[in-house]
Amino acid sequence: MNDVAALGFGMHPWGKFPEKRLNDICRVAVESALGDAGIAWKEVEAVCAASSRFSGGKGWGLNGNDVVEDMGSTGVPVYNMSAGCAAGSNAFNVGYTMIKSGIHDVVLVVGGEKMPKGFIQTSGLEDETDPEYLRQRCVGLPGPGFWAMLTRARMEEYGTTEEDLAAVAVKAHQVGTHNENARFRQLFSLEDVLNSNMVSHPLRLYEICPVSDGAAAVVLCSAEFARKKTTQPIWAASTAVATARFDDGLPRGLACVPGEGRPHHSEARISVAKALEAADLGPKDLDFVELQDNTVYYELAFPEEWGMCKPGESERLLHAGETLPTGRMPINPSGGFLCFGEATTAQGLFQICEVGWQLRGECGPRQVPNARVGMAQSIGLGGNGTAAILKR
Amino acid sequence: MSEPSTVQAVEGLFSQTPEGPRLLGSRCANCRTPYFPRSETCHNPECERSDMQDDSFGPAGRLISIALQNYPPPPPTIASDPYVTYGVGLVDLPEGLRVIGRLLADDPEQVPVGGNVALVIAPLGHDAEGREVLSWQWKPI
Ligand SMILES: [Zn+2]
Repeated sequence: MNDVAALGFGMHPWGKFPEKRLNDICRVAVESALGDAGIAWKEVEAVCAASSRFSGGKGWGLNGNDVVEDMGSTGVPVYNMSAGCAAGSNAFNVGYTMIKSGIHDVVLVVGGEKMPKGFIQTSGLEDETDPEYLRQRCVGLPGPGFWAMLTRARMEEYGTTEEDLAAVAVKAHQVGTHNENARFRQLFSLEDVLNSNMVSHPLRLYEICPVSDGAAAVVLCSAEFARKKTTQPIWAASTAVATARFDDGLPRGLACVPGEGRPHHSEARISVAKALEAADLGPKDLDFVELQDNTVYYELAFPEEWGMCKPGESERLLHAGETLPTGRMPINPSGGFLCFGEATTAQGLFQICEVGWQLRGECGPRQVPNARVGMAQSIGLGGNGTAAILKR
Repeated sequence: MSEPSTVQAVEGLFSQTPEGPRLLGSRCANCRTPYFPRSETCHNPECERSDMQDDSFGPAGRLISIALQNYPPPPPTIASDPYVTYGVGLVDLPEGLRVIGRLLADDPEQVPVGGNVALVIAPLGHDAEGREVLSWQWKPI
């Protein structure tokens, strides 16, 4: 098996760009990743792309084909990966696997998205066999309500307060303010967050992520190819993909079986555990993590569910500053989704770019000191979960 | 022929029976896993032979979490007009099923997590044709 290097990272900043085409946004990310890797478009042997439901892709999620046509139709193979919000990192997994197995030496992974307005209606189908349709039609629980339900359960179990939740958002912006690629870079006080509109009690507007446009790209290559370009490559130590277990107690439609323990995203837990095992690391060996914080809840719950700290310990670590880049368990030094907003199928790759830049020590005031190993994690509709571990 | 003035949010998910309201689902006769709504197949990875039979659930359970819906959700959700914030309860039924449903409570913010709830069939609001739309809901007891 070949070692896999992450040679180049590129991003178009997250924001709202009604005047730009999706191709324009993707091109900025791709050209910047190719430039960062020091390679030409013609050297790319395959493209792994996130399939979008919202934009481009000829209406069929063929977003990689759009990128290839735009960059130049060299005849390369294209793999369009669909995994809801986990599509970007799912594409990363496929690209990694193709380098690892020796099928290709240079693969471009790309995700770009222009989002419609408002909170995402996750399926959008009007079909009485679709669980998401049934949930909205018969009950009425959009995404923020789903997150609110998880949050309230945590509050009941651990005594998490509304101030604790707000403090996660304050911390996110404290680091995100230093990220030129983030969309929401203003600083918030605890009062600002607590005074923002209640969206779905106990969650407020500044505690959940809105939708954004954005694109990100990564160049993966074999160790042999990387050595021709750099003496200090960033390595993709492992990637893993999982789907949700039957008994995780999390109702993704109307109902589920309670299963063992507290309701949780088993797809996240499993993919993280698999990625750690493949990299021969324990959860406490990670110098930092970019995790999917659609809402502040996940920044508290995920590290505990993955064994990075003890159950119920997250609030204390947060208030002690341990989740800041300079702390002992840095979470989302990019500012996370709270500062970026959600560009669904692209976001798994902004996380991987951030991990790469952190490992290179290029992150300025939001830098995790001496970061050697970092993880990116995402989840998506359908119970898709992914994790990728990079190291230097 | 006049339109009925009351409709179910989606047909076939619940019914009012002589024993009270029931959620209409199924259960695997092989591994005893319950499903709501009905499932064509058993999703339990430990179950080697899916054998789905109709079953029904209710009339009561315990609230394990609550979310409030502070803004009017977009269609296809039905809500009162003018809009009033409602709660959604996550409820564990003794039949081994965890089910979401709207909370039937005047002040959902005051409903305690951990309390018992009864299954009721009640209106969510009215649809565009002015018909009352019914669904299952959880009523604190
Ligand atoms: Zn079964």
